Amino acid sequence: MDELALSVRGLSTVYETGQATVHAVRDVSFDLKATERLGIVGESGSGKSALALSILGLIEAPGRVLAGEILLDGGRDISKLSDRQLSAIRGKEIALVLQDPSSALDPVKTIGAQIVEAITVHEPGLRRAAARKRAAELLREVDISQAERRLDDYPHQYSGGMRQRVAIAIAIANNPRVLIADEPTTALDVTTQAQVLALLDRLVEQHRTAVILITHNLGIVSDFCDSVAVMYAGRLVETSGVDHIFISPTHPYSEALLKCVPNPERLAEGPLPAITGFPPDLAKLPTGCSFAPRCPVGRDLPRCHEETPEPHRVIGAAGAAEVECHFAEQRIAEVRV
Amino acid sequence: MARVIGLRLLGSIGAVFGATILAFVIMRLLPGNPARLILGPLATQHAVSSLSQEIGLDKPIYVQYWRYISDFFQGNWGYSYSDGESVRQLIGERAPATIELAIYSFAFTILAAVGLALASTYRHRPITDRIVRGASYLGFGTPPFFLALLLLIVFFKTFHLLPGPEGRLGVEATPPPAVTRMYTVDALLAGQLGTFWEAFEHLILPSLALGISSFSFLVRLLRANLLEVSREPFITVARGKGLRRWTAFRRHALPNAFLPTLTAGGLVLGEFLAGSVLIERVFNWPGVGSLVFDAIVKQDYAIVQTFILLSAVMFVLVNLVVDLLYAVIDPRVRIPSVASA
Repeated sequence: MDELALSVRGLSTVYETGQATVHAVRDVSFDLKATERLGIVGESGSGKSALALSILGLIEAPGRVLAGEILLDGGRDISKLSDRQLSAIRGKEIALVLQDPSSALDPVKTIGAQIVEAITVHEPGLRRAAARKRAAELLREVDISQAERRLDDYPHQYSGGMRQRVAIAIAIANNPRVLIADEPTTALDVTTQAQVLALLDRLVEQHRTAVILITHNLGIVSDFCDSVAVMYAGRLVETSGVDHIFISPTHPYSEALLKCVPNPERLAEGPLPAITGFPPDLAKLPTGCSFAPRCPVGRDLPRCHEETPEPHRVIGAAGAAEVECHFAEQRIAEVRV
Repeated sequence: MARVIGLRLLGSIGAVFGATILAFVIMRLLPGNPARLILGPLATQHAVSSLSQEIGLDKPIYVQYWRYISDFFQGNWGYSYSDGESVRQLIGERAPATIELAIYSFAFTILAAVGLALASTYRHRPITDRIVRGASYLGFGTPPFFLALLLLIVFFKTFHLLPGPEGRLGVEATPPPAVTRMYTVDALLAGQLGTFWEAFEHLILPSLALGISSFSFLVRLLRANLLEVSREPFITVARGKGLRRWTAFRRHALPNAFLPTLTAGGLVLGEFLAGSVLIERVFNWPGVGSLVFDAIVKQDYAIVQTFILLSAVMFVLVNLVVDLLYAVIDPRVRIPSVASA
């Protein structure tokens, strides 16, 4: 259980357009144990998707990965591999599920062809019939009835939820060690969301796959994940076990994020609070802590505007956390009192 | 699929019907009596009215229309007033030259547009992209006949690389034995490689000049489509499966990007097949375009009318083929989507 599936160290990704450099991912480090489920939470534009693509080496120009190591199985650094070498890893050891099922499948190819392709690209010698049989099995595994027949359908003949199941079938086709799911349920309606999440839950359990679940929905994190990392302006500002973030959120941003989740018990407190202000422009990052301009704690403190906080390791009521805040120790002590 | 074919076929018949009505009405709206026009100002009134009767001008309008379209579709296109030859024979003689030029020009247009659109979009290459876009604007803005003259000055007059405006072959050459009457094809069939090469050389400049503006149009369309499609999430998904960049591009980006281009390609081919008066003039190309040009100058209405209607029919046919191809390639056209499962 404790062996590492994936270890990311100091990953930074930028997009360089003519005038500006957008720092989408800034010095991100985390570990993912085998079969662990890590949720990465943050607002839109916080760099979550860029992080996912950076891990897979799929950042397209004008973007590029500046620095960092991506260690697979605790050893091999895949960040320096050529595209050819990475292709052997993508889909085989690290797989990807994207947000919008309506555009994640090629509209002019059959569902079957798209699943078969995911299998045969890593097993070039496989016979057509055998690959097709495996594809049908995968469709059955994601609960699509009459799988054999529906292989010959096109994506527009499937509903949104079914397309997302197909995307999941493609992702698990080769039993990957790590599955990166980028907002896999965001585009679905609520009941379909629950079904797809339950399916994902069952499959990663069976296949013993570690998952990085990217989402902005803390509810999904609490249901699905073992650990959580809160992303703000390209950095992971708080990383911990999943209980910690709900019991003693230590970074002021995590706390604010949690307050924005609708909760029937707090209806009496009036309208849902929102975090004031906007996330910083990733092309013009402020000095010091990126959250300082919006932070209820550090808004007026010169230190927060001048000095970039180091990661602080703290122990809260629900275990350890790594928090990038000057006041992490103080805040966790206050919460404990 | 049968439903799609049926609908498209009905649409095409409707379009041809519309074109015949239009051509017919315009002819009737022209001032003057066609019989008088044929016989000239010195003919007697009696001669005019007897000709009117002979060609059915005294019949009710719907009978005239019926005779008009049944004659057209049976290939009875009348006779040229200026030299008395049947229009069918005149157009038949000229058509292979125009068709051959159209095919070569179309091939050049498609190949160049696809090649350059790929070069400017596959991978991030800002400089190539800028050059291709610049070239396409230039091509779009340059009148084809002007480009034709420019090409002649550079490649024929200055550098003597390619033949001048002398038609399909050099003056001393004999055409290959007529089978298709497209010289490059016939020369190959007869095994005359020298003649093939000569015919081919004569095709290069006219093909370029004829194709340039369509090329500019297609390259821009294709470039925009390729850019759009390569940003689609399903390309990322394909790469995520472990497909190499080019494989993902070839299998998933190209087919989707080509779909809109297919329609445009059909329009371009239809335009080329109708012949270009200006390009054929400049290169002394003995095609339908120059026949029609001469006919207009000589007020030879039978030729002009037939040509207009023929172009319309051909245009409709090309587009019918494109629509059917579309249905074959794009399943969303062929198979209705499930309302919501």
